[in-house]
Amino acid sequence: MSIEEVSELASPAPVYGGAEPLLEVSDLRVRFDAKGRRVNAVNGLSYHVHAGRMLAIIGESGSGKSVSSRALMGLLPPTARISGSARFLGTDLLSLSEREMRRHRGADLAMVFQDPTRSLNPTMRIGTQITEAVRAHGDVDKRAAFDRAMELLQLVRLPAPERRFYEYPHQLSGGMRQRVMIAIALAADPKLLIADEATTALDVTTQAQVMELLLELQERLGTAIIMISHDLGLAASYAHDVIVMYAGRAVEYAPASTLFSHVRMPYTRALLGAIPRLERTPHSLLPVTPGQPPDLTALPPGCPFAPRCSRAQDDCHAEPPPFAEHEPGHWWACWHPCEVGGPAEEGGR
Amino acid sequence: MTTTEPVTDDAREAAPGAVARLVHSPSVRLIARRLVAAVPIVLGVSILTFIVLSLIPGDAAQLLLGPEATPEQIAAMHRQMGLDQPPVQRYLGWLGGALTGDLGNSLVSGQPVTGELGSRLAVTGELVGLAFVLSLGLAIPVALLAAYKPNRLFDRVSMLVSITGLAVANYVIALLLVLVFAVQFAFFPAIGFVPIGQGIGENLRSMLLPAVSIAFPLFCFYTRFLRGDLVDQLRGEDYIVTARAKGIGPGQVLLRHAFRNSSFGLLTVVGLNLGTLIGATVIIEQIFALPGIGQLLLQAINTRDFVVVQACVVVFAVVAVLANLVTDLLYAVLDPRIRYGNR
Ligand SMILES: Nc1ncnc2c1ncn2[C@@H]1O[C@H](COP(=O)(O)OP(=O)(O)OP(=O)(O)O)[C@@H](O)[C@H]1O
Ligand code: SF4
Ligand SMILES: [Mg+2]
Repeated sequence: MSIEEVSELASPAPVYGGAEPLLEVSDLRVRFDAKGRRVNAVNGLSYHVHAGRMLAIIGESGSGKSVSSRALMGLLPPTARISGSARFLGTDLLSLSEREMRRHRGADLAMVFQDPTRSLNPTMRIGTQITEAVRAHGDVDKRAAFDRAMELLQLVRLPAPERRFYEYPHQLSGGMRQRVMIAIALAADPKLLIADEATTALDVTTQAQVMELLLELQERLGTAIIMISHDLGLAASYAHDVIVMYAGRAVEYAPASTLFSHVRMPYTRALLGAIPRLERTPHSLLPVTPGQPPDLTALPPGCPFAPRCSRAQDDCHAEPPPFAEHEPGHWWACWHPCEVGGPAEEGGR
Repeated sequence: MTTTEPVTDDAREAAPGAVARLVHSPSVRLIARRLVAAVPIVLGVSILTFIVLSLIPGDAAQLLLGPEATPEQIAAMHRQMGLDQPPVQRYLGWLGGALTGDLGNSLVSGQPVTGELGSRLAVTGELVGLAFVLSLGLAIPVALLAAYKPNRLFDRVSMLVSITGLAVANYVIALLLVLVFAVQFAFFPAIGFVPIGQGIGENLRSMLLPAVSIAFPLFCFYTRFLRGDLVDQLRGEDYIVTARAKGIGPGQVLLRHAFRNSSFGLLTVVGLNLGTLIGATVIIEQIFALPGIGQLLLQAINTRDFVVVQACVVVFAVVAVLANLVTDLLYAVLDPRIRYGNR
């Protein structure tokens, strides 16, 4: 399916609350063209983030969570073709040149990545990696950068910061490394922090500690956070709002409490239903939904979830359902939504 | 009986001080372990050379005395050279001398080999050192520029040059250089060697063409290697994304992050090269008539001067082993992952 065909799906961005949103993503599309293969990774994604709130983006592997957030940061490889808009503090991030983008990157827009072991430079001292971020924006001398780095290390509660400053990443535990990554991200007091599976590589206890830290920092600094995760439980316990992504677009969006009590989209329901209720390991990756994930090189003309959906009918295969606000604050894309309180298993096949 | 202070654990630990710290330092242990491991290698090489040399037809006495020599004359010469003794005894005699730094006397000139090797080693060392400086000094900036904008003009041209350079043997380059710079333009002497004692400028002039002949293929190889590694780091490594996400410029990402990590790979390659480079010096010294070890080795083989051949081969083996050791040590000193031990 070509970009032009998909663009009929262009959906209005959901608006949460009254105030002007900090980030307003509308109709974001990303495709990769490589050697005759066209991967439609993001297909008309729209959402809002408000200052001081935490938005969780969840979805199975390959649903476009990382690609869509890296597109905002200008961190995709040159093979990526990006369209749509992302208004952030009055500028459209997607229309900026690389040089202009660099002024925002790490300054008012920062990112924490999944694997803290690979995301820190193994041959550079912790302290240097933080002061580098501090000095990337603004004219900061060595001394001031050092003080700021210490302050950041204390902020993220890294034990013995004076010593850790001079150590190398391999001398730290995974949780400590992720704290360092967060310190780097916070170096310039960003307004928006994107945490791309920032806790996935950590053990359960550390995971909770890092999430608590993020939440606390958010309250103290007023930073908006986009939390990308495989982990529904994590989203339920920490995020204010949740977006569920499927095949590169949003399929359900609501405040966390609403979403988990009033699931309407069969895919979301399948995700929830696939969680073994009692013995669910808190660290489990996204529960397996029956059926094949969609082929992003050849998306079906109708609802992309149709081949796996037990509620699918003929119209689902013919035309894609619009992503719309069906109930106040609750958005979904489905022709035949589940009844509220219906059996959890009815979503997937 | 004298009363002694009870020795506490603390005192016992503090007493040997610096020595203990040295003995327990990982680098010193590494050196010790590697030096011990090098002994059988060098010994094995010397035995193997000895066996091969006893199997080669032709001998020094025959060559010295000419085809007219009578068997009696040759036998007398053998006695004089010590070649009449059984091989095992000869080897052990040689080994005993070698351990005390005496590598024997040349069968042809009668001169002590150890002294000769010293001055020869200086020439070869200068040649190799110069080749490394030239090749690395050029390869690093070229690779950095190429990796800064991959697949652009500069990158493509440098790739083309280095692929061509790798396909051409160093003696072909040597002959071309001689033809162009020494014969056509007479910028440089075609052959011959000027010792440093007679002026460093003249010395470098006599060394430049041979050094370039060795350096050019190396330059091509290092450029390709480093450029490839840099691009791999830039494209595939997560820490690069982190660096970019900080908002620092592409030049800093390349120099401070990618190059820092790629330099360790380069170091390994350079260390491995040092061992194999000796082969190149043999040919190049011959072409440019440089009085280095390679030239000595070839002469000695021609005159069946087995004592000298044996000495040269052993020196080569020692150099190769030491080169590897130095590389590993540099690694241990430079790479924090090794310096501080992995968790
Ligand atoms: N550089 C690229 N070239 C081609 N395809 C890509 C590239 N990067 C990502 N993709 C494809 O885009 C799709 C979305 O990838 P993305 O990384 O956003 O998924 P994700 O939702 O973050 O998954 P995960 O949970 O596994 O991290 C995948 O099918 C992936 O193969
Ligand atoms: S019911 Fe139809 S529209 Fe809704 S998810 Fe299933 S297939 Fe898609
Ligand atoms: Mg991802």
